[in-house]
Amino acid sequence: MAIVNLQNVTYQYPLTDTPALQNINLQVNEGEFVAVIGPNGAGKSTLCYTLAGFVPHFFKGELTGVVEVVGVESHNSSLSEWVLNVGLAFQNPFNQISGAKYTVFEELAFGLENIGIPREEMKTRVEEAMELTGIGDLADRSPYSLSGGQQQRVALASILVMQPKVLVLDEPTSQMDPIGTREVFGVIRKMTERGMTVILAEHKVEWIAQFADRVVALYEGQILTAGKPREVLTSDLVIDKGFGVSRYTSVARKARKQGLWSGSKQLPVTLDEAIEGFGK
Amino acid sequence: MHDRLSFYYYRDSLLHRLNPLTKIALVFGLILVSFVSPYYWTSHLLVLVVIIPLIFVGRIGREYLNAALRIILPATAFLFVMQALFQPLEGEELFRLWFLHPTLESTLFAFRNAARVFAIASSFTIFLLTTHPRELMTDLTRRGMPPQIAYVIISTLQILPQMQAKAQTILAAQHSRGMDTQSTFLKRVGSLVPLVGPLVFGSLVEVEERAIAIEARGFTSSHVKTSLYDIPDTALDRALRWIFMGLAILSMALRIWLS
Repeated sequence: MAIVNLQNVTYQYPLTDTPALQNINLQVNEGEFVAVIGPNGAGKSTLCYTLAGFVPHFFKGELTGVVEVVGVESHNSSLSEWVLNVGLAFQNPFNQISGAKYTVFEELAFGLENIGIPREEMKTRVEEAMELTGIGDLADRSPYSLSGGQQQRVALASILVMQPKVLVLDEPTSQMDPIGTREVFGVIRKMTERGMTVILAEHKVEWIAQFADRVVALYEGQILTAGKPREVLTSDLVIDKGFGVSRYTSVARKARKQGLWSGSKQLPVTLDEAIEGFGK
Repeated sequence: MHDRLSFYYYRDSLLHRLNPLTKIALVFGLILVSFVSPYYWTSHLLVLVVIIPLIFVGRIGREYLNAALRIILPATAFLFVMQALFQPLEGEELFRLWFLHPTLESTLFAFRNAARVFAIASSFTIFLLTTHPRELMTDLTRRGMPPQIAYVIISTLQILPQMQAKAQTILAAQHSRGMDTQSTFLKRVGSLVPLVGPLVFGSLVEVEERAIAIEARGFTSSHVKTSLYDIPDTALDRALRWIFMGLAILSMALRIWLS
């Protein structure tokens, strides 16, 4: 049973000529980790906003088709009800700081205060989310005094703490170092093991190849192809458009042209696969 | 660069521990008494027997003195001089200098007003120095103030220093591209344009994202909100509020009865 169900979804922002999303069909199962790749302007963020209910409840414009999460149709729900099921963290961490709170601990508690969680449970949940995202030592700092990467961890923790059924992340690691990125992917895996469904828009294909269950490639508002990470990330369709290619895939492709990588072998996406492939 | 925009200083004192509403009642009680009391020396007395002891109770002597010397005293001194010189009250002339001829009446009038302003400004200062905005807003929201108002106040206090920092960054960027900000007045005014544009439009874009961010965290949820902090409201607080209200009513009654 799909927890997220998009059918023939087309959406156009107000005052624009072309739809940002065209005829999107996507079903995501409970506990699945789906990564969305695509060049800038492909509609990744719009897809995230649609899943999180901000299209059409916050951004006006015309949405057609079916957007269904946990069996509820987006049109029939209000944004404040919708966000209880679907959490959203996006790219710019600075603008995700509420501004209403003085410390990181309070910042994480902000969402829980809003939805009326009792104080004791609030503290337990905040501590757990801080532990999970590795920001325990920042509890008493002002969220504004943190670095971009730390702020992104806070933004992620602020949504995790609300324990949504579906977590939508729009480039949540854009300002993080490789260690931070690895930790975020680790957190995502941990959350999916607990039954949370995660949809992630991201450029870092090497990490996606290692962690995601499924990859959706978006191009000009349409789904170009979707499937297992290895298939999508090495498919000619994606490679020809010039995005979603890891450096290991590019090297192996060049090597294949010169006969250094056998044509029957599948192209690698990660370092380990490349070492294995070249080693033989 | 300020990290935050707040006058609050943490101390372990009775005044800090009082409920914010009690302190608001105290401030407004002082204002009311100082204005409606029929006695001449009321405000002066309030400063001596209420304001100054409160400063010691709150252990904020140095911070208060700082504010008093820099803002409150110069402002009240200015008010005193202006009113003493120009308040057109007939009476015994103290001295005559060119066109200035303050009278005893105008000087007494000015002295009373200056004491009033001093008492009011001081009680507000004590309130701000001993009350964290977070406690004030949490308490008022619990008492029924819309959370949107609390959000606007706190986020303004927090975001203004951030905007200030951003203005500095933009200024430095324009500087490095040869903008003139140091020569003639007209050129400086002209150079404000490339500063204000990015600052204002940038902030407008940010507003949209921030709205999405707080909406994603259930800000407009219809659930009854809870609070991470418990702001104590003790029997002492309630008793004090009744006393302040009683004194305010008493001073109004005295005013009506004696006039």
